[in-house]
Amino acid sequence: MSSGRGDKNPEFRPGTWLQGTGPECDIAICTRARLARNLQGFRFSPCLEPDESRRLYDFVSGRLRQGGLPEQLNVLDLERVDELERNVLVERHLISRELAASKRPSGVAVDAEESIAVMINEEDHLRMQVFASGLQTEAVWKRAERLDDALMQRLPMACSEEFGFLTSCPTNTGTGLRLSVMLHLPGLVWSEEIDKATNTAQKIHLAVRGLYGEGSRALGDFYQVSNQVTLGRDEMQIQADVLLAVGRVVQWEREVRGALLRSSARVRTLDRVHRALGILERAQILTSEEALGSLSALRFGVEEELLEGFAIADVNRALLLSQPGHLQRHTRELMSPEERDQRRAQLLRDVLGCAP
Amino acid sequence: MHGSVPGRAPLVRTPTQRARLRFPMQYCTHCQKAIATIVIMDLVEGAVTGSQHVCAGCAEQLGVATQKQPKFSAEMLEDLLGGLKGAKPLSRASRTEACPGCGLSPMEFRAKGRLGCPRCYETFRHELMPLLQRIHEAQSHRGRMPGITSAPPPQSIDERTLSDLRRKLEDAVRGEQYEEAARLRDDLRRAERGEGSQS
Repeated sequence: MSSGRGDKNPEFRPGTWLQGTGPECDIAICTRARLARNLQGFRFSPCLEPDESRRLYDFVSGRLRQGGLPEQLNVLDLERVDELERNVLVERHLISRELAASKRPSGVAVDAEESIAVMINEEDHLRMQVFASGLQTEAVWKRAERLDDALMQRLPMACSEEFGFLTSCPTNTGTGLRLSVMLHLPGLVWSEEIDKATNTAQKIHLAVRGLYGEGSRALGDFYQVSNQVTLGRDEMQIQADVLLAVGRVVQWEREVRGALLRSSARVRTLDRVHRALGILERAQILTSEEALGSLSALRFGVEEELLEGFAIADVNRALLLSQPGHLQRHTRELMSPEERDQRRAQLLRDVLGCAP
Repeated sequence: MHGSVPGRAPLVRTPTQRARLRFPMQYCTHCQKAIATIVIMDLVEGAVTGSQHVCAGCAEQLGVATQKQPKFSAEMLEDLLGGLKGAKPLSRASRTEACPGCGLSPMEFRAKGRLGCPRCYETFRHELMPLLQRIHEAQSHRGRMPGITSAPPPQSIDERTLSDLRRKLEDAVRGEQYEEAARLRDDLRRAERGEGSQS
């Protein structure tokens, strides 16, 4: 990774999904495999009585702490994590918004690279997530499978021959596998082809969602493509489905980018990228939405070699650090939206190494 | 580095190929008049077996119109289950009792669209089957199970498969899933003749 202009935040680790490396990483930011699993002999998490919920959490977290797993995991008890820090975990994709808001005894087991996060007592008793930078469906699945094998030897998983793994919501029944790829698609958004692209994916039963999953908006031109079907198709077929759709969308994005950089369209594209850089360099107040929009354009400019002197890793880092939780984590205090917008403008200049 | 599926051509072009790539402006393969804006891919088991480029007008005529299809989300379950509330009052489903495993009532299941415990899968089976069919276009699992480290090979036709098919056929008929029932009936006939199932 070539070094960019900014490196004023050396203690910050970006997490696996933002490394900016791996196959197709200019468009495919990261790949995630998520497995939903439940234990026999317990109700599903949302239906647990408080004492039962505690028993389940203690049992599962105990087994995860036992060692001997193929991954070195550190269990974080969410009851000891305040709201601000929970938001940071959500922004880092380690826990879901639902788990962050949960009052149940719950936790997350994470490895040092933040490439694995096992949520305990979310909608399902266990939700294992494996991340890899770039488009790596096979790698994340293999790693998830290995961890799943080890956990199945320690925990009695609820399943039936007919329905496969039994989950709280019937949308996850069967494999319990949700394989998703986060894509940066400014070309498709700018050329207004994005609806067609998402329709194509939906026709083959893939879901297209925003950066933070179900119900979230596609801020900063980031989209997640994932399988909807978990029952009746095995894990290899699911991988093939996702890879097929993602490959098509990536190719489409490349074609559209090509068109945006040719003849009369080129000057408008350059204008858009440089305006975004102007905003990031000069703005004193930046909302989250404007920051994400500008960073998306900047990322596009860097990837297409329209701008020099920025590293993709810095742009990715800026994307994460401009989120409300990370912003406030820095000062360890809750800020008003206005204060946050000022702090965001300053922080982005620091991270990107722009003149004050 | 570029990813590809083993045994399949790389999905994405190399940088040199990218540089040479031209935006593929082409005419609709149907009317030959308008610029094609939609690519229809024929998929068999997840693999592309053919594709055609069509314009929006022809796409509509072909029945692959671009109107937004609602994507299936967990939120939509509630609506869908809401529809079941108005189902025929004498259907077997509506006589289901609360789940002996967790006490979840049929009303609660329909209201939330969530199951309460593993046993709910048997308790609410008759309401669940059409729901699974709607969500996944399937009613039974393929893939990993505890103790089986990778996807199992296709099952040979034996008595268990036959009884499995018969049970699914019954469920499909009960759930008024007639298209699925017809498919299962054909599968069952083939299986009984020892030709193997296509499901």
